[in-house]
Amino acid sequence: MFKSIVTWFSLIVVAWSQLVGNLSAAEPVASEVGFRRDVMPVLFRAGCNSGTCHGSARGKDGFMLSLFGYDAKGDYERIVNEIVGRRVNTAAPEQSLLLLKATGAVAHTGGKLFANDSEHYQTLLRWITQGAPDDSDKVPETVAVILFEDRLMFEKAGVGKALKVTARASDGSTRDVTKLARFFSNNESVAKIDANGMVTSTGPGDTNVFARFSRFTTGAEVIVLPPESGFKWSNPPEVNFIDKLVFERLNKLRITPSELCDDSTFLRRVTLDLAARTPTIAEYDSFNADTKPNKRAAKIDELLTNDAFADFWTAIWGEQLRIMGGDYAPVGTLVKAADTYYEWIRKQMRAGRPLNEFVAEMVASSGSNLSNGPVNLYTMLVHKPQFEPKSFAADFSQVFLGVQIQCAECHNHPFDRWTMDDYYGFVSFFTGMKRKPGVEPRERRIFCDPTAAPARHLVDGRPMPAKVLGSIDPVKTTGDPRKELAIWLTSPENEMFSRNLANRIWAQLLGRGIIEPVDDVRASNPPVNGPLLDALSKRLVESKFDLRTLVRDICNSRVYQLSAKPNPSNFRDTRQFSHAHLRKLRADVLLDSVVVVTGVKRGFGGFPEGTRAIDYYPRGGGTEGPNFGDAFFATFGRSSRGTVCACETKREPTLSQTLHMAVGDTVRDRLNAGGVIKKMVDDKFTPDQIIENLYIRTLCRPPNDEEKVAMRSLVGDAVKDTSAYEDIFWSLLNCSEFAFNH
Amino acid sequence: MRPKDTLKFLIVILLCHYGNGLRAQDAKPITFDDHIAPIFKRHCVQCHGETKQKAGLDLSSYLSTKKGGGGGPVVLSGQSGSSSIIKVITAENPAERMPPENDALPKEQVALIKAWIDSGLRQNAGSAAAPTRILGFTPAAMTNIAGPAPMPSKLSAVEKIKTTRPFPILALASSNRAPLIASASYGAIDFVDPKDRTVMGSVAFPEGEPQILRFSKSGGVLLAAGGRPVQNGVAVLFDVVSGKRLAEIGNESDAIIAADISADEKSIAIGGSSRIVKIFSTKDGTLLHTLVKHTDWVTAIAFSPDGKLLATGDRTGLIHIWDATSGGVVFPLSEHKASVRSLAWRSDSKALASSGDDGLVVWWDVSKGWPSISKPDAHPAQRPAGYYGKIPNGVLDVAFGPKGELVTCGRDQTVKVWATDGQLVKTFSILEEQSKTNTQGIKIFPTRVALTFDGAILVAGDSAGRIHSWSLKPPKK
Repeated sequence: MFKSIVTWFSLIVVAWSQLVGNLSAAEPVASEVGFRRDVMPVLFRAGCNSGTCHGSARGKDGFMLSLFGYDAKGDYERIVNEIVGRRVNTAAPEQSLLLLKATGAVAHTGGKLFANDSEHYQTLLRWITQGAPDDSDKVPETVAVILFEDRLMFEKAGVGKALKVTARASDGSTRDVTKLARFFSNNESVAKIDANGMVTSTGPGDTNVFARFSRFTTGAEVIVLPPESGFKWSNPPEVNFIDKLVFERLNKLRITPSELCDDSTFLRRVTLDLAARTPTIAEYDSFNADTKPNKRAAKIDELLTNDAFADFWTAIWGEQLRIMGGDYAPVGTLVKAADTYYEWIRKQMRAGRPLNEFVAEMVASSGSNLSNGPVNLYTMLVHKPQFEPKSFAADFSQVFLGVQIQCAECHNHPFDRWTMDDYYGFVSFFTGMKRKPGVEPRERRIFCDPTAAPARHLVDGRPMPAKVLGSIDPVKTTGDPRKELAIWLTSPENEMFSRNLANRIWAQLLGRGIIEPVDDVRASNPPVNGPLLDALSKRLVESKFDLRTLVRDICNSRVYQLSAKPNPSNFRDTRQFSHAHLRKLRADVLLDSVVVVTGVKRGFGGFPEGTRAIDYYPRGGGTEGPNFGDAFFATFGRSSRGTVCACETKREPTLSQTLHMAVGDTVRDRLNAGGVIKKMVDDKFTPDQIIENLYIRTLCRPPNDEEKVAMRSLVGDAVKDTSAYEDIFWSLLNCSEFAFNH
Repeated sequence: MRPKDTLKFLIVILLCHYGNGLRAQDAKPITFDDHIAPIFKRHCVQCHGETKQKAGLDLSSYLSTKKGGGGGPVVLSGQSGSSSIIKVITAENPAERMPPENDALPKEQVALIKAWIDSGLRQNAGSAAAPTRILGFTPAAMTNIAGPAPMPSKLSAVEKIKTTRPFPILALASSNRAPLIASASYGAIDFVDPKDRTVMGSVAFPEGEPQILRFSKSGGVLLAAGGRPVQNGVAVLFDVVSGKRLAEIGNESDAIIAADISADEKSIAIGGSSRIVKIFSTKDGTLLHTLVKHTDWVTAIAFSPDGKLLATGDRTGLIHIWDATSGGVVFPLSEHKASVRSLAWRSDSKALASSGDDGLVVWWDVSKGWPSISKPDAHPAQRPAGYYGKIPNGVLDVAFGPKGELVTCGRDQTVKVWATDGQLVKTFSILEEQSKTNTQGIKIFPTRVALTFDGAILVAGDSAGRIHSWSLKPPKK
């Protein structure tokens, strides 16, 4: 019945306004305030959309904004339309909750953010008075944020200088956004920066201060000099471009570098770094006997041609690429697959394959995980029964670019340039990756299905075709997009790639990256010596991505060969390479060194007799997940390969390490088992000879006079008693001089 | 009501009205209810109130204030110098001062609080013991709805507050018995003739913005609830004929956003950002029940016409059905994935309609607790070609007509009429006049809908403060 009634409805009139007169009398405003252009920056500057306030994923006190404003459309909807008349009251603009809360006129958990007479307040008020319009399609996007100065130099602490910030829009226009940007300092003990961009020096050193506006973080270097009095540049000789750039920087910072280290320190350092073990007595003797002036360079060349160098870098790649053998077929990481992958890497390293080709082959590979080694990039990097494009893309960029893009999964990267567009476009390179069972039960065939749908943008569900980081347009391809990815990634023009490799190689040899951590490259974590990283990266590209060339240059530099002993000028420096860093030996290098020193091999389950620790990687593990390997490695902090993070390799000494070395089976069982001491006693070595042998064998140096006397008194009259020598041997293996590369 | 009671009632009303001002304080003692509570409400109860009690302190009521917090009492009678509340609000160091991260309280307010403590912590003007508040409201008997339908007459003129532009229509209600629409504006309520949308008269609502309007079943009483966001919230009962204020109930720290009056007019229920539903007696303003099951803002409240049940909805999308008289839990109704925006009962009390920001309209079979009809995306917005992302499609209001027909309005800028079986009957757009206003970049959508008592006229209010109406007249034979 009702239906029959309403078939005859009629529209009476259209509408009627209660206050038509008032509507047209709304005061005209001189210049229009835009939501995206003017209002969003105020919310950003005031901190409304920060992670601890309304920008948190669930909002705060019932009001949510997108973190740092990545979703302007959604923010507009929430502010203006979600609850009509409450947050924004266009009838009585001053009564808008947005204003009352921000000025602290009503109870607000976030407190008072600005005053009624502030510019920020006026901007919001004018916008609401205009009727709170959206300006979605009219606003040019911010494309760059520029600081007036990119370097600030202070002669002393307590001096201030104001930073000016300019934003450039996509239409080419610029505006001063100093009052809308947010500022922070990377090290407040060097320089502070206040909310208005005023930089104040606080103590000698160098750091960076940053301004954030829109989705950009731009930094300026700050140098606060120590007192000039007493500083005189020591003018050390420069061997190559590395010395020139490091010394230039040190001179600028008024830091005197340490002296060159002595021959035995150099020999131990370079052998540990390139051969992954301590030098033998024979190597020590022959290096000492060599009187040629270029003997250090010759030693470097010799070590570089040795397979141990390639094997060590295979181990390093194996860690980064998370090579582990498992037994659970769907994951595709059977021991055989792991072996194939590992040996493939070893082959590339031994052959000196250019690193870009090495990476490119992995990135674009398809096929069987058991027979085609490099395809295991797609099984090992993310150990999961299902291929996960998002986790893979995040790990991929962390390993090969040193960039952590995963923040951009849920919001634009807060401290870098990466947007959600970048992230989802990048994920789409891998959305087509599939695994299908192969011929034998544990085989998986890895391939890319080019018809697979791309990833969708989290905010609006838009499909995001595969696109390389930082690009606007997707890659042009009809087939497997990974081919384009491999070309872009490893091309000499892609500085992100070459800089990442150069930085990781440098960090491996110097103990600290020029960007540290090495896998957290971002705008707010700039290199401590930009020109140096540029030069290393350039050198790597020029050498056609030859690992050995760059390692050779670094090892030959005076900077690499500096003593670890600081001087009064550089003892505070931890990041400008003015002296060698004390580096705890990696777990595998330590174990191999114990083996070399004691002459007693160490077995690993599932590996042949005599396998070195650096050749070992975890095997075993089933449905419960991968097995992270030998207990010694867990104790001594070898990468568990639980993630791709560089921090998986632990550098901190622990109590259990000390206890293990003191009373564990690694040292104790080897003191006499190798017969080192017995042979010397039998061969009628004098106590002094035996002590010297043990010192050189363990620490690559003879005992000094004081040590000689002390050790000799320990032996006393029992010159044929091996136990006294074993005690000395034990002490040497337990001293920190052995456990560190110095 | 005895004349003496009436007098008392008037005094109470006057005190409520002028309580916030300081005019009366010279002659009268300083009391919690009149002077101190408004200060606490404005500055303190966000963190020390009914919802949150930081440091265990609740300053929303006299008793809880006297009790103090985790660190002991905060007010010591006669000793403002030793009362910790004075210490924290007058601290020199902003980091130690309350309210945190804000300017210090104005000196006059601090002085008031000091004076209140030193004069002995009085609760109210009457005496130490609070007398029962008589609101002087006589509920209409359920059966007594015969006679002429109440219509406003002899309303006194109300001076409207001038605003920059019309305030959105946040509340709209239709009388059950007369061709009468009540519509909320800024600081006032208009009685509107649905035929020509002329204002027959207005009543003032100086407490702020009415967020919800409901006529009682008898049509004689209008419930208006609202307030100023994060400042105050109150529910007021008006006599429809005279426009006289019958009672003011509730003293909330935020605007009330959901309310209803029971069919027998004996109780009202209110809810809002405190997440608590309170049921008050209309007779004496006592708090009958406190319903604490909602985990987010209470956004909709409706008593069933038979007086037995109370439905409440919240911002997470959950609806609870309660026993209206005992306040006991009946069952939850869980279907909405986003905030519930509106709840309405059919006149036979057998069906409840709900709408939400998730675009869903549900007709609930309340006897079983199941959705009998569910309309997802009831107000689908048009998607321009090549446009991705969620387009807001919330359904903001639902109302039943006398014959069980349902009207809804949504963010898609339309008003819809649905038959009893859930079939869409007609769609109206409010956009015809969009071009006449200077509203570039501002979306206007209908916020409230109502059907007249006879189902003949459909009325809608919009976010630009306009009222629209359409006739649903039956054919003339």
